[in-house]
Amino acid sequence: MIEFHDVEVVYPNGFKALKGINLEIPRGQFVVIVGLSGAGKSTLIRTVNNLVVPVAGDVRVDGKSVTKATGGELRRLRSGIGMIFQTFNLVKRSTVIRNVLAGRLGDNNALLSLLGIFAKSDVALAHESLQRVGIPEKAFVRADALSGGQQQRVGIARALAQRPSIMLADEPVASLDPPTSHSVMRDLKRISREDGITTLVNLHFIDMAREYADRIVGMNGGEIVFDGTPDEATDDVFERIYGREIDEEHDIRGAA
Amino acid sequence: MADERASGRAASVPPLPDRARRSIVLQYVIVIGILGLAILSLYALDLPSWSRVVRGLENNMLRLLRGFIDPEWGTAPLAITAMTETFFMAVIGTTIGAFLAFPLSFLGAANLVGGTRWAFPGKTLLVAIRTFPEILLAIIFVLAAGPGPTAGIMAMGIHSIGFLGKIFADIIESIDPGPNEAIRAAGGNQLHVFFYSVVPQVLPEFASTTLYRFEINLRAATILGLVGAGGIGLPMIQRIQFRRWDEVSMLLIVIVSVIIVVDAVSSRIRRRLV
Amino acid sequence: MGQPDAAPAIAGRLRTIGTAAIFLALLWVAGRQTDFSFVDLWTGANDFFGFFLRLNPDWRALSQIWAPLLETLQIAYLGTVFGTLLAAPLIFLASFNTTANAPVMWIARTILTLIRSIPDLLYAAILAPILSIGPLPGVVALTIFTMAVLAKLASETVEAVDPGPLEALRATGAGRNRMIVYSVLPQIGATMTSYILYVFEINVRASTVLGLVGAGGLGQLLVTYLNFFDYEGIAVLIIVIFAVVLLIDAASVYIRTRLL
Repeated sequence: MIEFHDVEVVYPNGFKALKGINLEIPRGQFVVIVGLSGAGKSTLIRTVNNLVVPVAGDVRVDGKSVTKATGGELRRLRSGIGMIFQTFNLVKRSTVIRNVLAGRLGDNNALLSLLGIFAKSDVALAHESLQRVGIPEKAFVRADALSGGQQQRVGIARALAQRPSIMLADEPVASLDPPTSHSVMRDLKRISREDGITTLVNLHFIDMAREYADRIVGMNGGEIVFDGTPDEATDDVFERIYGREIDEEHDIRGAA
Repeated sequence: MADERASGRAASVPPLPDRARRSIVLQYVIVIGILGLAILSLYALDLPSWSRVVRGLENNMLRLLRGFIDPEWGTAPLAITAMTETFFMAVIGTTIGAFLAFPLSFLGAANLVGGTRWAFPGKTLLVAIRTFPEILLAIIFVLAAGPGPTAGIMAMGIHSIGFLGKIFADIIESIDPGPNEAIRAAGGNQLHVFFYSVVPQVLPEFASTTLYRFEINLRAATILGLVGAGGIGLPMIQRIQFRRWDEVSMLLIVIVSVIIVVDAVSSRIRRRLV
Repeated sequence: MGQPDAAPAIAGRLRTIGTAAIFLALLWVAGRQTDFSFVDLWTGANDFFGFFLRLNPDWRALSQIWAPLLETLQIAYLGTVFGTLLAAPLIFLASFNTTANAPVMWIARTILTLIRSIPDLLYAAILAPILSIGPLPGVVALTIFTMAVLAKLASETVEAVDPGPLEALRATGAGRNRMIVYSVLPQIGATMTSYILYVFEINVRASTVLGLVGAGGLGQLLVTYLNFFDYEGIAVLIIVIFAVVLLIDAASVYIRTRLL
């Protein structure tokens, strides 16, 4: 369970990215967060594993505060939270299996892992994660030799190897073509169901959200403007999330 | 839930492909080889006994370190004068190097002399010149023309010709051929191409490289005096020989300060240039 | 529409002329202070070539040279290896994307800047009386110098690395060391090896002359020859040094181009 209590984030340049977010996400839910760029989606997701630190408020995972955690405590919390990225963030020159094994680093013997030696169970888990995302045969291939969709799957496998209870996905399909995007979203949804992982996904477009989400959270200008089921996300909700900004701040018709 | 799944399936780890196994073994072999060679070399060297080393450290290191906290300010004027001479030596040496390297570099640039084969002798000459360590050149000049800053300047100058010449040639070879073509298309001859396309493109990088060489030359100039070629090297080596560590510290402080300042200014200028 | 501005063009001209003027003035002052005139250039060059033409190498000296030559190479090798090992932690502490915290980074950078301001031969000169004459001060001097040079070169590369994989690893809860090993090292591996070879080149060149201050190797032989005015021996030594440096340079360039 993820709880946001009055979370505020202000960036060093003064920009208010999140203005007092309150949200509660029960275990196992597949939540999609939608909104324009700059609405606060990426910031929100990163407060869950404290990659972005709020200036006010608290984010709690299963009752434990992530915001206040530091050092070893924070790393332990993070090892239970998997994250996938729009640009995949794989180490291009390393093999696929090594990338997936990196998911085990939060959680195992210090010296041995520095030398690249993993426990047999870790290696087995890594291979199994690759199998679950459908590309077990690519284990020893260099990461940059894979297609975009395959690379994202490696990213998912890496997150899976952490045996996470929470999965964060920051625009996981923005760099992929439509059929591949749907295929990756399907995999994410399936894995979330199979393992009961609480999943937060950022997406640009509401149509994909409607198709996969258990619950949709719409953001605009650092605030939550919609929170409900896909059925409730009608077209005027659409306008609330995407439209208002265009009318007021981005209307250029009257520009000199 | 995930746990059950993991132990349910047999711990199936597919075997490493041969290529991967070979590269891992190779990496280990190389690392162990390098470290092993190092340990062997250490053994084979004619090293002093541990007690000698400790005694040397006790007697001298403490005085040297103390000298940094409380240096011999009396030596400061001498240090500053000598460092100034060192600075000027580096200026002249670098300038000579740059000016002479300029024409030579064109002879070593493949795209100006018509191909890599024609550039080969030019490049080789430049590389040959810069192979000589500066100190060695300084010794030769001291032997040939007598001690003094001139020997140091000549040593730096000649070495810099090689260093700068090679890099200048590389820079020339890396310029954009587009503007050359444009000028030729507009009716210009080889000289026009040279002055209106090649030179403007390479000058900023030439200047930046020259400044970089100046930084290095300044450091070299501080030690050329060791062999009698002028600069702060001579006073420095004298004080070291007499174990006047507090004066050595003073000299070092002056040297380090000047070099840090010069480096900082030079970096600033170089960033503006390129 | 109008005439292009005349002012900026003139300002640019003035700046160029100003810089040139300052530079020439500097050159003039420098010449006066060091008693250097451009006539010296010509006579110096003459003396230089004259010296070479008079050189008469006595090849029997070769038998004396092998042992110091080996020692020279050992000094360079050990200096490079130990310098690299010591540089490793410093590199990552001095780079903003892999450091533990800001104060540590500034301390690391300051230490490196200070160490880099002293030329290798000076370290050797100072260490020779302290650590007793022989190869030891040479090795230590080159270790310190390698550490500083390599750290500077490498930290620039580390800071330019793709930050994505670092963020990903941080998100899995990996500590700083593991993050470095798994996301930074693979990206910089080839470049680092190239830098290490480059530093080895520099070290070989330096170690041939370190003996001048008593730090072992060929330089020590050079001192002996100088003291006895054995010009024929010096001639052989010069040729040997030249050949060694050339060979190592060529080998290094070859390996580096193959790597990249």
